[in-house]
Amino acid sequence: MNPNNGLMSAGAPNASDPPQPQPWQRITVGTPGPEFEALPPGQYDFDFPDTECDGWSTPELAMRFASVRGAKHRYYRQPRQDAARAAVHTATGSVVFAVADGVSSASNSEQGAVAACRAALERMLHLLDHAAGPVDLRDVACHAADRLRELTRWRLGGRDPEFSEVADLYATTLVAGMVRPHPEGPLVELCRIGDSGAWALDRSRGQYLPLFPTKTGTDVLLVSSTVTPLPHVPDPLEQTSRRLSSNDALMIGTDGFADPLGDGDGQVGSLFARHLAYPLPPLWLAHLLDFSRETFDDDRTLLTVWPTAPGGQR
Amino acid sequence: MSETRGVLLPAYVLADESGSMSPYLEELSNGLVSLCEGLRAEPMVAAKLRLAVLGFSDDVQVRLAVADMRTESTLPQVRIRGLTSYKAVFEDLLHRIPADVQWLRGEGYKVHRPVVFLLSDGQPTDGGSWRGPHAALTDKAQTPTAPNIIACGIGDAQADTMLEVATRPEFAFVAKAGTDLGEAISEFFHSLTASLVASGHALNSANPHLVVNRPDQFTMAIDEV
Repeated sequence: MNPNNGLMSAGAPNASDPPQPQPWQRITVGTPGPEFEALPPGQYDFDFPDTECDGWSTPELAMRFASVRGAKHRYYRQPRQDAARAAVHTATGSVVFAVADGVSSASNSEQGAVAACRAALERMLHLLDHAAGPVDLRDVACHAADRLRELTRWRLGGRDPEFSEVADLYATTLVAGMVRPHPEGPLVELCRIGDSGAWALDRSRGQYLPLFPTKTGTDVLLVSSTVTPLPHVPDPLEQTSRRLSSNDALMIGTDGFADPLGDGDGQVGSLFARHLAYPLPPLWLAHLLDFSRETFDDDRTLLTVWPTAPGGQR
Repeated sequence: MSETRGVLLPAYVLADESGSMSPYLEELSNGLVSLCEGLRAEPMVAAKLRLAVLGFSDDVQVRLAVADMRTESTLPQVRIRGLTSYKAVFEDLLHRIPADVQWLRGEGYKVHRPVVFLLSDGQPTDGGSWRGPHAALTDKAQTPTAPNIIACGIGDAQADTMLEVATRPEFAFVAKAGTDLGEAISEFFHSLTASLVASGHALNSANPHLVVNRPDQFTMAIDEV
């Protein structure tokens, strides 16, 4: 038996073979960052894969999200600390979602980000089950904060944690909300704790309308933003709502996406406006989001919801 | 404004070139080399920094203009000369820093509050005349780009002077009594490199902050007054 038989026949080109697809080349925007093979995160970080993506459509709405580990975390052996989750509330057809960015100074922020997203989704689904009117997003945010406290209490063997102990372990930003189908156009309701961003993308003009104030205005001389993340729930909680037109797409992104996007009028904005004109394959969104651009090495997460009918067909 | 090319931390190293530093020229030069090499070894951090090295005595001379250390191939060369004019330092920074920030912004970057690391081996020889420009430089109302200043004193530099120069008490350090000054200079540069690398990480996070590591062989000046 020739031990090479299988390998040789599998690897040898044959004139009758169909053309082989090329591996996806990393998309670069401007000057690329350094290229290197990602290093593994810590041995117990196996629940936080380098890349996550998801996508599906209801009769009225299409949802895609992707979350990719930033170059800094790939280089310095840290897990992705961003998270996103989305679900459909079956009875109403609403799409509920959460996007979180674990604060790097918290020792288990990757767990905090996922826990906050899960808790927010569970609470929104529960509230939608029990009330037809606007969902109490403060209740949702407090529920997510409570979940972080519960996790900390469990870690401390049942002892009630100090606020700082929760923050030191699980601090995370959070944007949570929903898109409800409506005859006059889908209605977006959002809340935010921290500096992640949300935009309505005008797909016909490729313009981004920020739904929350951006963390650094263009006229600010120096960057000096600081974030107060969960478990802190500010009072009042930052909230917004908007009805999507058939031309709009809702975008929720962590600062790893928001910072290179800026006002959306540059190369990054153009790239995403072009590719997000219609719902795209989730794997392609992840690939797109993993673009290389020097100095931008943070985790990136982007969740997008498109109206699919009427007037917003794919 | 179109999209940003990145967010940078401008960092200024002020090296005392006065005559009393003469015995330690080698340590000063080696320290600067190790700083540059240390930053080149961290390309992702270096991408977010712009480093300037300024030598000061009677005046301020540029040893390395605001540079991207990933691509900068020249090494700063210090020259021992003259006295120790703090006034020259702060007058220079008062004009230099706003101009550099404006230039970086014009290049398409956003900018963190600049940071100054000052290493001095003696008391200022210009009396108290430096306090005016220092006050103007560090007053954020007067100078919106006012830097954070970390002051490290060795030799004759006194703790209360370093406390006056530094913008926060925990940013002022003095070498422990009896410390070999050459060793203290080396430690200053080790700590400076570590602080810049750590700040490069911390400034690009949800909670941006400057990281300042106390050099070995140094104590916090607040503990000495």
